[in-house]
Amino acid sequence: MPQRAAQSPVLELRDVSKAFGHVVALDRVHLEAYAGSVLVIVGDNGAGKTTMIKVLAGVHPVDSGVVLLDGRPVTVTSPAKAQELGIATVFQNLALVECLDVAANMYLGRPIRRGLIFADRRRMIESAADTLAALRVRVPSVRVPVGVLSGGQRQGVAIARAVQQDSRIVLMDEPTAALGYRETRQVIDIIRGLRQDGKAVILISHDLETVFEVADRIQVMRLGRVQGVRERASADRSEIIGLITGAIEPDAAAPSPAPAGAGPR
Amino acid sequence: MSAEDDRAGHAARPVPVSPDAPEVQVAPHAEVTPDAQEPSPAPAPIGTEAPEVGAVARSATAGLPLWQRVLTSPQFLVGVVIVLFVLYGATRSPEFLTVGTWINILRNAVFILIVASFTTFVFVSGGLDLSVGSLFAVGSIGTAGLLSAGWGIVPAVLAGCAAGAAAGWLNGVLINYANIPAFITTLGMLYGARSLVVYFTGGQPISPLPDGFVKIAQAELFGVPLLILYAAAVALLAHVLLETTTFGWRVRAVGGNREAANNAGINVRRVSTVVYTLSGLSAATAGMLMAARLGSGQPSIGTGFELQVISAVIIGGTSLFGGIGSIPGSVLGSLVLSILATGLVLMRIDPVLQDFVVGLIIIVAVGLDQLRRRRMFRATGQR
Repeated sequence: MPQRAAQSPVLELRDVSKAFGHVVALDRVHLEAYAGSVLVIVGDNGAGKTTMIKVLAGVHPVDSGVVLLDGRPVTVTSPAKAQELGIATVFQNLALVECLDVAANMYLGRPIRRGLIFADRRRMIESAADTLAALRVRVPSVRVPVGVLSGGQRQGVAIARAVQQDSRIVLMDEPTAALGYRETRQVIDIIRGLRQDGKAVILISHDLETVFEVADRIQVMRLGRVQGVRERASADRSEIIGLITGAIEPDAAAPSPAPAGAGPR
Repeated sequence: MSAEDDRAGHAARPVPVSPDAPEVQVAPHAEVTPDAQEPSPAPAPIGTEAPEVGAVARSATAGLPLWQRVLTSPQFLVGVVIVLFVLYGATRSPEFLTVGTWINILRNAVFILIVASFTTFVFVSGGLDLSVGSLFAVGSIGTAGLLSAGWGIVPAVLAGCAAGAAAGWLNGVLINYANIPAFITTLGMLYGARSLVVYFTGGQPISPLPDGFVKIAQAELFGVPLLILYAAAVALLAHVLLETTTFGWRVRAVGGNREAANNAGINVRRVSTVVYTLSGLSAATAGMLMAARLGSGQPSIGTGFELQVISAVIIGGTSLFGGIGSIPGSVLGSLVLSILATGLVLMRIDPVLQDFVVGLIIIVAVGLDQLRRRRMFRATGQR
């Protein structure tokens, strides 16, 4: 099991704020993700969960605050940069191209090359099929367009793509949202596999059942702020729900040394 | 559960799978996994609502069989129509089947095809370029003007083509970095470039042009006009670029879903800008060849040409909405326009009616494309 106490975080947000016009999506939030550990972010709609993932994935630049990778400040200016830094993301809207086939989608943005300019289609097809098989994601063929797949199949392809990148940090926004019971079990297996491999996993989920099953730590967000972070082992369900709804007051001091979320704006 | 770990070695990369699978393990699922050589009970595969698909662990890598692809291709119907037209035309006018007629048909298709090849890229990338007719004139007049100013053939040709590429690049920058819609940007370029061409020539044709230059377009190789060979080479190049290179796949991804492409780390602005630059380059190159063929630079050349090019691309089954399209389709579309033009003349049908036929085919072709997309993506109901 993860020996986190002795570790320093692989990925860290400190005092990060992000506004869209007048809407403050993130208000001096912090986050710490550790290798071989699963951090689940929970919160109501509009809590800033997805914005936080998108900041880490390079989709949104931060307004203020710092992102630290291995303790060093980095700027994640684009999704390409995030991938370079070893951050793989499963977006909520899945980020697949419907008219391209499964294999092409699995290698979107980082194709296997042959020579200087050519794409190695055959190897991408073979290797996409292997990865999907290993993860037990079933599609009719890796050469059918993603547009003809079901929601569950698309989810599988999107997750397989992130796993295949073999990144140190994996972000997942609602990976089980569109899935039935058995498919959800399988995604949970994949997440556990990632943890076992020493990846830092950050995922958003609405489903408390899933949350308590996979999380090492649970971070509760509310209205763009961090309400609190709990170890799964010591957390109890009603407390988490209380934090989500605001029935329980947010923690006065954050676990990070930064004086974040110290008061209302 | 330890058997689960074996499959990691089966994949290209170490893929983590349930080392400590939950007690709530899914009931054994009636599936055989010969590929993974591993008979242990497996959790349900993602993406299968029903287990009957579960015969093989590894997803198929095969595409549709050839005959199915031909039948469902958007070019199929247009192809059938044009073959019927040729057969009917042959009964009306025996001249229709002579080599000379077909050389003529191909030669007339050359200019549209060269530009249509890269307009296909623009469409596949989800864009639109209305300025190719004016940039055609830029290539024509640019090259002719420099030649008559005493430049050598090679530098004049290169500069003429480069002018078109520069204008295309400007289109791309305005569209992608200043976020001006493609329709507006390229409409502005259509007027702006044409105006400059007329201004610098005073509306007068530029001639005569050096023999060496004129030969570029008027010479033949084994009885085949060089022009036809150029167009074939350009189309082949465009096809290889679109279908086999990483750039081609990026273009398709950008047109298919710009946000997804961006999230996957593709520099969508740069890809799109390169596509518009290629479009401008191809238009000016075709214009330069036209000047060589005519032996003069005409300031009004290529007026309305953009609509012919777009028609050819659409008839060829390329979608206006991005992601879907092919160069062979655009070759067919260019030939259709040229075959109709020649055929209707040979059949002594009023050429004015030509455009009626073209209009009909465009509406039918685009209509079919819409139906096809709806059928293909009915799962999502998108677009």
